[in-house]
Amino acid sequence: MRIGLALLLLLPLAAHAREWKVDAAHSTLTFTGTYQGESFEGRFKRFDAKVNYDPGDLAQAKFDVMVDIASVDTANTERDQALPDKAFFDTAQFPRAHFVTTRFRKATNGQVLADGTLSLRGISRPVTLAVKFAQAGSGATLEVDTTLKRLDFGIGTGDWSDTSMIGNDVTVHGHLALRP
Amino acid sequence: MLRNTETRWGSVAQAFHWLIAALIVVQGAIGLTMVELGMTPTKVKVFALHKSIGLTVLALVLLRLAWRLTQRAPREVPMPRWQLAAARTSHFLLYVLILALPFSGWLFNSAANFPLEWFGMFHVPSLTRGLDPVLKAFALRAHVVLFWVLVAVVAVHVFAALWHHFRQRDEVLLRMLPMAGKRRDLPRQRALP
Repeated sequence: MRIGLALLLLLPLAAHAREWKVDAAHSTLTFTGTYQGESFEGRFKRFDAKVNYDPGDLAQAKFDVMVDIASVDTANTERDQALPDKAFFDTAQFPRAHFVTTRFRKATNGQVLADGTLSLRGISRPVTLAVKFAQAGSGATLEVDTTLKRLDFGIGTGDWSDTSMIGNDVTVHGHLALRP
Repeated sequence: MLRNTETRWGSVAQAFHWLIAALIVVQGAIGLTMVELGMTPTKVKVFALHKSIGLTVLALVLLRLAWRLTQRAPREVPMPRWQLAAARTSHFLLYVLILALPFSGWLFNSAANFPLEWFGMFHVPSLTRGLDPVLKAFALRAHVVLFWVLVAVVAVHVFAALWHHFRQRDEVLLRMLPMAGKRRDLPRQRALP
């Protein structure tokens, strides 16, 4: 009973893991897809990430990321003009993607995994990120990786669903520079 | 006869000439049509076809030039000096154009950062380091201008060939035609009244 009470008192302290500020200028959200048999890289120039993370307290960790889909840039003018179209991201109807974690766990090899839900183009699906966190001085860097299937989110509908032209797998990489 | 003779282009030179000519006609038709297509996978496939044929033309022209330089051309048909000069100039221009046209397309494709594959079989490297908007605009302009210049020079070339054949009744066209060697052995004499 006494111990329970003591734990209860401690709860507010533990309720939020360390909260970081994301240095947007040094953070990137990139992806690699394939088009006509060749891989290409793209990035979202604008996104907003809230990161609560303490490697010693995964139970309280939380990522909450909003991505401005129209900020997509794949270094190809024609492709960048096509991507916001209804057949692809449909940014007029779905301007933002949202990812929020539901729980963190450790794989048997020690790799930290963040399970969460990605809402993209009006479709919400479970997505797991591989997380690498490295403290550097007072700041830290966070690397997250996952692979999505574009067709799971209806990106490239109709005739564009041909995966021999546009590959289904899209690897996503986030690099976040964190400041205290 | 594979090789050129004194009076006729050999079958290798003829094959290069007519194959490249046919591919250029197809390329022109595809090129003019494809730019009007809406943004669909069909458009992507038609563009890919245009690129593959263009690369084929570039390779064929390089082989053709190598073949042309390793052997003697047939003796020039007797004609006024201005006609010889016009023929030599237009032939030189045609070689330059059929090299520069596919090259400018490849350059545009590279500077636009589009993928490039030869009939989906192998990757063809980019000529630039990714997107280059200034070079892209230049290469596209060059591709279009070179095409219309080619159309004009080809028109002169075709007109001259037909004029020599039907009005001058000489062997200019016949010696580039397969299996036409024996049809008119003394055409210039026959043309005389």
